[in-house]
Amino acid sequence: MNKQKNGFLGLLVLLILFGCERDDICIETVTESPDLILLMLDFENPQNRKTPSGFSIRPIGIEKSLPKTPSDSLALPLKIQENNIQFEFITNQGSENENIDTLQINYQRFDTFINTACGYRSNFILDTPPALILNPGSNWIKGITVLKDTISDETRAHLGILH
Amino acid sequence: MKHVHIWVFYISLLIGFQSLLAQQAEERVVISDSLGVKEKTPLALRFGIDLSNLGRSRLSEDYNGFETVADLRVGENFYLATEIGRIETTKQVESVNFTSSGTYYKLGFDYNMFENWEGMDNQVTIGLRFASSSHELLLNSYTILDRTRFWPSSDFPITSGYATGVRPNLNAQWFEVVVGFKVQLIKNTYMGMSFRLNRLIDDKLPENFDNVFIPGFNKKTEDNNFGASLNYSLTYRIPFTKK
Repeated sequence: MNKQKNGFLGLLVLLILFGCERDDICIETVTESPDLILLMLDFENPQNRKTPSGFSIRPIGIEKSLPKTPSDSLALPLKIQENNIQFEFITNQGSENENIDTLQINYQRFDTFINTACGYRSNFILDTPPALILNPGSNWIKGITVLKDTISDETRAHLGILH
Repeated sequence: MKHVHIWVFYISLLIGFQSLLAQQAEERVVISDSLGVKEKTPLALRFGIDLSNLGRSRLSEDYNGFETVADLRVGENFYLATEIGRIETTKQVESVNFTSSGTYYKLGFDYNMFENWEGMDNQVTIGLRFASSSHELLLNSYTILDRTRFWPSSDFPITSGYATGVRPNLNAQWFEVVVGFKVQLIKNTYMGMSFRLNRLIDDKLPENFDNVFIPGFNKKTEDNNFGASLNYSLTYRIPFTKK
């Protein structure tokens, strides 16, 4: 009787051991889906970066501010469920000649497999035209140039805004 | 140390069964005594089904599997063994939800290391299999790696588009080291259990995905080629008439 008991106990232990599957963990060092890197460029001299005075950015559709205060280069988080994002680009904020331009950036998303723990990474391709100004007339943004149309990392800027 | 424990367990379980079957065994001792001579080992074909697949198919809606097992005794302690099966399962593994379906076969041998007493027919075996699968993977949904999550709903699973869909015509080949035992419950009917360690040799990878679950092999992890599985079999030996 005792031996039988041991046998069943052994079986139980083995079943429990097999019930536990090792889970993979998504390691912190795995690069996540990239943001869009924007450069603010001088209209007269497009090689040079230039921070607009009293510069600020407001996302449309969410009451939230960007994690970093914008300067001559900034990262815009892209939406995964939609193919465009809209932001208000504000210059001379709070002053008399405050000017708000609403910019829409259009893109397509394609996802690449990382592993089961991390899932997929989103990459993006900018549409043509990559960006539209939604409020024409008296714009402080003078033009937009594509620097790199495939957004697969954050090492290079993708879009330049001339002002 | 672990291996020793597994063996101790197997043997203890076997002893448990033995005490149940003692009476039956005794009966058979008498029969073989009446024959008086030691017979040549006859060819014996056993076939049956894997109960763990059957059980899982009943218990889970997301699992549907069937496996037939067979072995042929070709020597005193030597068996040719095969398993053929079909599995369809839908799984959520961390960030991906997929359906894996396909067939597999395993072919190899078992070597019996258990000394039977006269009239008993039990086995403690160690064996090897070559196995091959033919399967497809359907990616149902997945999530995007986005730690900052600026926009709402960026953590919603993606259920359509470029990356989802079916990856047909996949295959995998692997070896299995099998440790198991079979106990004769009643005449010609055996109950068995085996533990398998699988080593992947080669597999055809699905595009923009991985062979996360291979029918017959089970879960494939990213950083090693080992898998493991368990099987409980119920087999019946086709009785050959003795002269």
